[in-house]
Amino acid sequence: MRTLDFGTTSALRSQSSWHAVAAAMRPGDPPVLSFVRPAEPYVCLGYHRDIAEVDGDWCQEQGLPVLRRKVGGGPVYLDDRQYFFQVTLPAAAVGGHRAAALARLLAPSVAALRRLGVPAVLDGYGEVTVGGAKVCGHGAGQVREGVTVVGNLITGFDHERATRVLALEEPVRSEVLALMRSYVASTPVDAEAWKDAMVREYATHFGTTPSHDALREDELARLERYDELLGDPEFVAGQPRPRRAVRTVKVRAGVWVHEWRHAGRQVVVTVADGVVRRVIGELPTDLTGVDVGAAARMLAAADDDLAPLAGAFSSAQAEVAAA
Amino acid sequence: MTETDRISRGSGGADVVDVRGYVVRLDREYHPPTHLWVLDVGGGHRRVGLDALSAETYGRLAQLVLPPVGRRVEPGDEVGSLEAAKFVGPLVSPLHGIVRAVNAAVLEDPDLAVREPYDGGWLLELELDPGHDRVPGTVAGDRAVAWYESAVAAHCEIDEADR
Repeated sequence: MRTLDFGTTSALRSQSSWHAVAAAMRPGDPPVLSFVRPAEPYVCLGYHRDIAEVDGDWCQEQGLPVLRRKVGGGPVYLDDRQYFFQVTLPAAAVGGHRAAALARLLAPSVAALRRLGVPAVLDGYGEVTVGGAKVCGHGAGQVREGVTVVGNLITGFDHERATRVLALEEPVRSEVLALMRSYVASTPVDAEAWKDAMVREYATHFGTTPSHDALREDELARLERYDELLGDPEFVAGQPRPRRAVRTVKVRAGVWVHEWRHAGRQVVVTVADGVVRRVIGELPTDLTGVDVGAAARMLAAADDDLAPLAGAFSSAQAEVAAA
Repeated sequence: MTETDRISRGSGGADVVDVRGYVVRLDREYHPPTHLWVLDVGGGHRRVGLDALSAETYGRLAQLVLPPVGRRVEPGDEVGSLEAAKFVGPLVSPLHGIVRAVNAAVLEDPDLAVREPYDGGWLLELELDPGHDRVPGTVAGDRAVAWYESAVAAHCEIDEADR
């Protein structure tokens, strides 16, 4: 296993460095564990996400760059209190169900936190958590012939800014902020000790000896390419996405805020751990405390206009079931 | 059980073979490197979709991007992408041609590609370039079944190792 430490870099390089490693990956190459930390705060969108989910005007006022990555997940606020890691290996070495592969490749990162005394678990939703709070943002993807799983050590987290960068209106913003405070937590461990633990756990996982390395020539060539691509405004803007009747903000897997708007009506529903926790706005019946599957059926039966909200409940639950 | 014993008539009238629960339909070609099927729908057009094993590999699809109609593609071109469980994978073309249609239903409901990989979950249709009516690297009939059996075996071994 090669280990690469890109150190503290610009926002762009904190993304392009590991994209380059994945893009240059060849069949038969050893796995790579890499680390990078951004010197500056920025916002990063998952590959498929709508840029309209980010409050671009506010980000511009704050001088926050907005970038897009070629792996999954939602829009996130990142800063120098977050240490990113990436596990990259040839696509042919990753088989089976993608969710199972993701869990398999995240497991050593959980073991590394536990080695440092942090009681982290990979929970039933596929999140790395401590006491129910998410402590590691993660995503995964295939870039050319390389598959990469990315995550972070959050030594400090700015819940207010992480919420503020999202294009949300009240009361959704306050609801999301409150949930972020409850369900996203930092892990203030020593970053160097964490890296050492990560190297040990991933070397054990792959059954290899770690060897500290630098980028190869072909990876450096890819780095130039990804510096250009990930900084390209057209790539960042992405494709236009259809407007939907329901906007869903995922705080962590299993915790969602659904906002439904139709003909001047607005309803905001918070769902956590399979139960409707809070409803703001008027619904035909009080769903608070109701199992989300039953709530979806009640809404669909009560009012055709509410069918998209029922559909959003069901989609979110199906995502949990697939994890 | 012999291979022939596993052949049955599918809902669309095509022969289907069940390989450890993963179905392969014999009315179309398969492109092993991309796990896409290619179906001749007449007029020089080919319909393309995920095979059942690829669909299973992704699990529930949350996002799907397909190329615009009219785009020219070549084998190896990245023409779209899929996302499930935060995992983004590329959709790579096995064909030379021009995109003539994309499936609006699957764009609206990406998981349709997983639930109905051989029917309603098709992805796109291409008009083949002249001289490219044979799709390179595809397998059909017995060769498709043999490839599928080996792919399913590899998939199941990895999944069993996860447990």
